[in-house]
Amino acid sequence: MLFSEVYSAYFNAVAAIIEAAIGEDITDKRILEIIEDKAFSESMLSILPSLKNEEWLIMNRELRTPIKHSPQMPLTLLQKRWLKGLLADPRIALFDVDETGLEGVEPLFTPEDFVFFDRYLDGDNYVDENYILHFRTILAALKEQRRMHIKYTNRKGKSVHGQFIPIKLEYSAKDDKFRLLTVDGRLAAYINLARITECELLEVYPEKEFYLPKFREKYVVFKLIDRRNALDRVMLHFSDCRKETCRIGENVYRVTLWYDPQDETELLIRILSFGPMVQVTEPDSFIGLIKQRLQMQKDITG
Amino acid sequence: MPYSELIKNYSRIRDYMREFFVYGFKSRDEYGQKSARSYDNERRRIESWLAGYMSFHQDASGKNVFISVDSRHVLRNPLYKSWKAASFTKNDISLHFLLLDILSPLHAKSIPEILRVMDNDYLTVFSNIDPINESTLRKKLKEYVALGLVVAEKQGKQLLYRLADSKLSLDGWQDALSFFAEENPLGVIGSFLLDKFSQVRDIFSFKHRYLIFTLDSGIMLDLLSAVHEHRKVEFELFRRRGNHSKRVIMPIKIFISTQGGRQYLAGFHVRTKKLQFYRLDSIQKVKTLDVQPDFDNYMACLRDEAAHIWGVATGNGQRSHIEMRLRIAAADRRIVYRLEREKRCGNIVRLDETGWLFTADVYDAQELLPWLRTFIGRVESLTCSNKIVEERFWSDYALMREMYGGASDAV
Repeated sequence: MLFSEVYSAYFNAVAAIIEAAIGEDITDKRILEIIEDKAFSESMLSILPSLKNEEWLIMNRELRTPIKHSPQMPLTLLQKRWLKGLLADPRIALFDVDETGLEGVEPLFTPEDFVFFDRYLDGDNYVDENYILHFRTILAALKEQRRMHIKYTNRKGKSVHGQFIPIKLEYSAKDDKFRLLTVDGRLAAYINLARITECELLEVYPEKEFYLPKFREKYVVFKLIDRRNALDRVMLHFSDCRKETCRIGENVYRVTLWYDPQDETELLIRILSFGPMVQVTEPDSFIGLIKQRLQMQKDITG
Repeated sequence: MPYSELIKNYSRIRDYMREFFVYGFKSRDEYGQKSARSYDNERRRIESWLAGYMSFHQDASGKNVFISVDSRHVLRNPLYKSWKAASFTKNDISLHFLLLDILSPLHAKSIPEILRVMDNDYLTVFSNIDPINESTLRKKLKEYVALGLVVAEKQGKQLLYRLADSKLSLDGWQDALSFFAEENPLGVIGSFLLDKFSQVRDIFSFKHRYLIFTLDSGIMLDLLSAVHEHRKVEFELFRRRGNHSKRVIMPIKIFISTQGGRQYLAGFHVRTKKLQFYRLDSIQKVKTLDVQPDFDNYMACLRDEAAHIWGVATGNGQRSHIEMRLRIAAADRRIVYRLEREKRCGNIVRLDETGWLFTADVYDAQELLPWLRTFIGRVESLTCSNKIVEERFWSDYALMREMYGGASDAV
């Protein structure tokens, strides 16, 4: 069963409280800190009183626990089956996991259970030896906070190289690709993992040298006309983005959507796919992009 | 019942979270079917779980609550918190920690032994408590055996219990868990596993990620269990427009849109034997029924039909042929790459220096319309044996021209 208290934030918080209380005195303040860290914003209103009034037989009124060992919950069958399911995913080859203990466990899912019907067809090759090597080198650099020397082929097919600080490995489910977010001086850049031809670990970089450029954001506002179930389709389609929606009339909505300027062309395509159900109202620069496409079409077919 | 931030049943909160996350323009009064008090409680719960992600705006209809998240900038899915809010009784939580402490993987104990240890070594520190009785303990042990936390072994006429042992160590799994907890369709289970680590390194970020999918994880899990056991299922289907109905289906696969924010069950209607797709977010209460011996036939049938399905529609069972000619300048090679990687079951042929032809034979050509529109600016011609598709494409284009500059040449 997925929805079970054994996985709950309350049980996790109480396990951490017990761990802190074993062998030493614990204070209300420490308990509240743990609750704030492990549970929800109103959880202190119920967890602390339930512990202190002995409603839960875990601590007495003096905050002493009879529990002798740090709570260690074994893995549930559901968790083991989920892990077993991962072993058939080609991307598991990127990680060095130990399969011991999963013998004889029935996988919860198989790759054949899922069809990602609109995923792009040119995804990364996760079983390529060099790809795996580069991936693991990058993982090490990210964990050890080390600079990297990376040689890769850029979009124009030219081989380039340089020193970078790796920030995050970004995965896109649509593209089925990994990209590495890097910082080179004060500039952030993405490098497609599949384009990397060589990479190596360099020295650990001092924290003070690290400067993460701020994410710039642009916005677009569009009018959404709810015909042909457009409201449902548009709202779900853009539910991966930060957005705000207001109703401005019968079946008419105004949507403000924020995006990374690097993704402008992609957003343009996404908006075009909804045709006349979506009308961009600002900014003028974005309206101009749509007009340009319409003009190009007019030039071809009139 | 006094308010609690924990819940017994996931289905009602699933509806509210979807409304707040996906739509977010409704005022309190518009959650018509439910009482105002129910709305207030659910909103308060979600605010408690998702503090920092909730926003509000005020308009003439009142205060509207919405969840605002850019999935690219959150490292872990905040909606997973909803799966960690299951309610429990005082016996549930007390027995959980007492049993984890009393039992061990090595020495099995009977129920009387467990009760004796509990009474003598644990409960003596408390004053005025209700004793835990044998029946409550037996029920909890049975539940934990089913979860896989406890193993029951028969010794003579007696059942002995010990903590489940595993050679599995999660130590080397942290990176994989960080990735798959966010990327796998049932990733919330990975999130439960990550909770076991005191610290998790944030190495990955995710683009084109639909956080909302997790609200349907329970339904997906029930459906996959039925698929693996070759069982048909009965479920209730709720539609946004209000009507709902029951279906009996042989479930086969889960179809996931990485661009549209929707997940579907692909299955066969048991009576008509017709392939159907149902959105997971409209399915409630999956009931598993009997085993279907002809599962492999259904699977083969889906495989055949999928070769001519663009997305998730089968239309009236008749295939349509569609052709789109594109003019792509030499400098615009990226458009050709787009065609190659986005063609799905279609084909691409180069006609001349700048001419490219996309063709496909599909059951429902209307499904291609959103994709075809993304090529506006480069379409030389579009023909389809389903004339509605052609007409709609060009009428939508004409409407767009009007929207962005009128019928004149102002475009």
